[in-house]
Amino acid sequence: MNAIEVRDLHKTFGEVKAVQGVSFEIRQGEIFSLLGPNGAGKTTTISMLATLLRPDQGDALVMGKSIRSDPMGVKAVLGIVPQEIALYEDLSARENLTFWGKMYNLRGVALKQRVSEVLEIIGLTDRANGRVSKFSGGMKRRVNIGVALLHKPKVIYMDEPTVGIDPQSRRNILDSVVALKNQGMTVLYTTHYMEEAQELSDHIAIMDHGKLMACGTHAELVKIVGEMHRIDLTTSAESDSLLEAWRAIPGVQHISSQDGTLTVLVDDSNLRLPPLFETANTQQVRITSIDIQEPNLEAVFLHLTGRALRD
Amino acid sequence: MKLLDIAIKDLLRSYRSTIGLVFMFVVPLLVTGMFYFMFGNIAGDGGFSIPAVKVVIADLDEGGPSMQAGAENIPGGIKADTLGELIVEVLRSEDLASLLEVSLAPDAASARLTVDSQQAHVAIIIPPDFSRQFADQYGKASVEYYQDPTLTIGPSIVKSIMNQFMDRISGIKIAVDVALDQMDTSQYALIGEVIERFLDTSETQTEDLSQALLEVRSPVQSQQEDDPLARMLGPIMGGMMIFFAFYTGTATAESILREEEERTLPRLFTTPTPQSTILGGKFLSVFLTVAIQIAVLLTAAHLLFRIEWGQPAAVALMAAGVVFSAASFGIFINSMLRDSKQGSVIFGGVLTLSGMIGMISIFAMNSPTAARLGDTVSLLVPQGWAVRGLMMSMNSSPLPELSINFLVMLGWSAAFFVIGVWRFNRRYA
Repeated sequence: MNAIEVRDLHKTFGEVKAVQGVSFEIRQGEIFSLLGPNGAGKTTTISMLATLLRPDQGDALVMGKSIRSDPMGVKAVLGIVPQEIALYEDLSARENLTFWGKMYNLRGVALKQRVSEVLEIIGLTDRANGRVSKFSGGMKRRVNIGVALLHKPKVIYMDEPTVGIDPQSRRNILDSVVALKNQGMTVLYTTHYMEEAQELSDHIAIMDHGKLMACGTHAELVKIVGEMHRIDLTTSAESDSLLEAWRAIPGVQHISSQDGTLTVLVDDSNLRLPPLFETANTQQVRITSIDIQEPNLEAVFLHLTGRALRD
Repeated sequence: MKLLDIAIKDLLRSYRSTIGLVFMFVVPLLVTGMFYFMFGNIAGDGGFSIPAVKVVIADLDEGGPSMQAGAENIPGGIKADTLGELIVEVLRSEDLASLLEVSLAPDAASARLTVDSQQAHVAIIIPPDFSRQFADQYGKASVEYYQDPTLTIGPSIVKSIMNQFMDRISGIKIAVDVALDQMDTSQYALIGEVIERFLDTSETQTEDLSQALLEVRSPVQSQQEDDPLARMLGPIMGGMMIFFAFYTGTATAESILREEEERTLPRLFTTPTPQSTILGGKFLSVFLTVAIQIAVLLTAAHLLFRIEWGQPAAVALMAAGVVFSAASFGIFINSMLRDSKQGSVIFGGVLTLSGMIGMISIFAMNSPTAARLGDTVSLLVPQGWAVRGLMMSMNSSPLPELSINFLVMLGWSAAFFVIGVWRFNRRYA
């Protein structure tokens, strides 16, 4: 059974078409990543799925409940971890969790018990009574996630939860996402970090300019670019004739240039590197650095959009 | 229930803010406290204490041929052989001991010298023929009054006492002269009775006058009548309370904008809680915060400064009016703003301006013309109605009159609240 079914969602802000006909499905108990650069439309899509924004067109079902006709029903089965820390800094971690628990209809002993459980899950039992304002960025992130877990939701949306935090806290969060999946929760995860999507996800959807460019498992997406290898090069001089010569080499699929770096997609880097060097030598251009990557989502994104994901 | 949870959470946050607490409770009490300490000496004996005026008297009066200033004929039962002695005894009497410090000089020159050398504030020089001139039906009895020109209050007190005394003496002289003109010599024995009747009549008139003045100046029929400090502090404390209640209402309502910026409001909207409950909880917290502030300030001011706010029903009505208008004013102002940064600029201007207009009547209390104008102008803002309600409660105005004022405040509140709620609902729709 699908936890989420998204059908032809559209959202426009003035002249800006933020989301244009996005459709996908997420099976129960899986981690589904929306991957795309900033401004791709990920947060707008997630805001519509959280019923914070009303779609101009289309609908989505979350655990069978329509975001259009049953927003309260959707909210009840959802846990949301927003991109920014959304906590009351002048309250303690326990007070925050208690308040948010009440907003999710928890009361009395059940509330107290669940707050203690969540403090345990996020590893802040010993700092439960400390004010959030005194916490580090990573600790705040953990409380931010804890709020979304209070009512044991069936589905969790996590909107770029690792932005701007230290590597250790990031690792903690990624581990907790996997732990949630293992508890049977469905996770919709947005990120612009390819490695996170690659590591966590059962399915990945790539978004750009409000459109869904591709959707599938990691293996399926890599196949889109024909399992090509990616070679990033810098040269002593930029030369159009060199690029033309390289394009003529058999097995070279795609060449693009950005910020002084040439990206070459080839079928097999071991076979294609010698002719690339030979041609450069012939044209008296020195190759000053080289980086070879096995097929990955970055290559997929490049292939689909013509630009690198980090841009 | 969630509505209350949101309101309680906001209350908790408000009372954890040190700055908030200072502005809610400390500043209004502190300002009033400053006035209390400035004018605190009024409280001790019910009036200002003024240092005794130093008076030097050169009594050169040699007495008159028929002068019989016996105790039985003189108010206060003072014995004196001359009118000059009478003046000295009156000014040295116990009744005036707290006001005057009297010393004697042997002659006019040394009396003047005492004033010139600033050892005394005033010199009274009674000439040798003072009693004689008084006794003479056509004579003119006068004393010389010599004062330090740099002083005002002390010498005017002595002058006032002397004028009263001389008026009385002149009155007696006129009464006696008229009697002498109209009586046969056989009736001269009745002169004493004429003097007594004159004194009785003049005293009665004086008492009546003082009572009439008292009524005009002290309309408050309460314990405060006897406590000028509390009477002075009441409007000041009330004004502070109203000003800061409006500040609190606006600052607390600003939490809606701040929650929006801190992203907790959008997160609240992702919970299974209707928007009306979320905003309702926020509004309720504004009302509760102002209500607690008013209750604490009214009680604290009563206990600390002995301010009588009026009858319980009147105070309750006045307090409810302040709470409703301050809270709804805050919601209204914030609903007009884009964000809290804009708010910090607008609040200062709007609250200061409307607060000052509202309190014109308090500032102008001692100037009847300005006060009348202020009473009218202040009603252009809700603070003015709140101040009016406060003064009515303190002046024991009838409840129906207070109720009308309360209804007007309720009208203001309803208008502010409806517009504010409408704008916020539209904003988050």
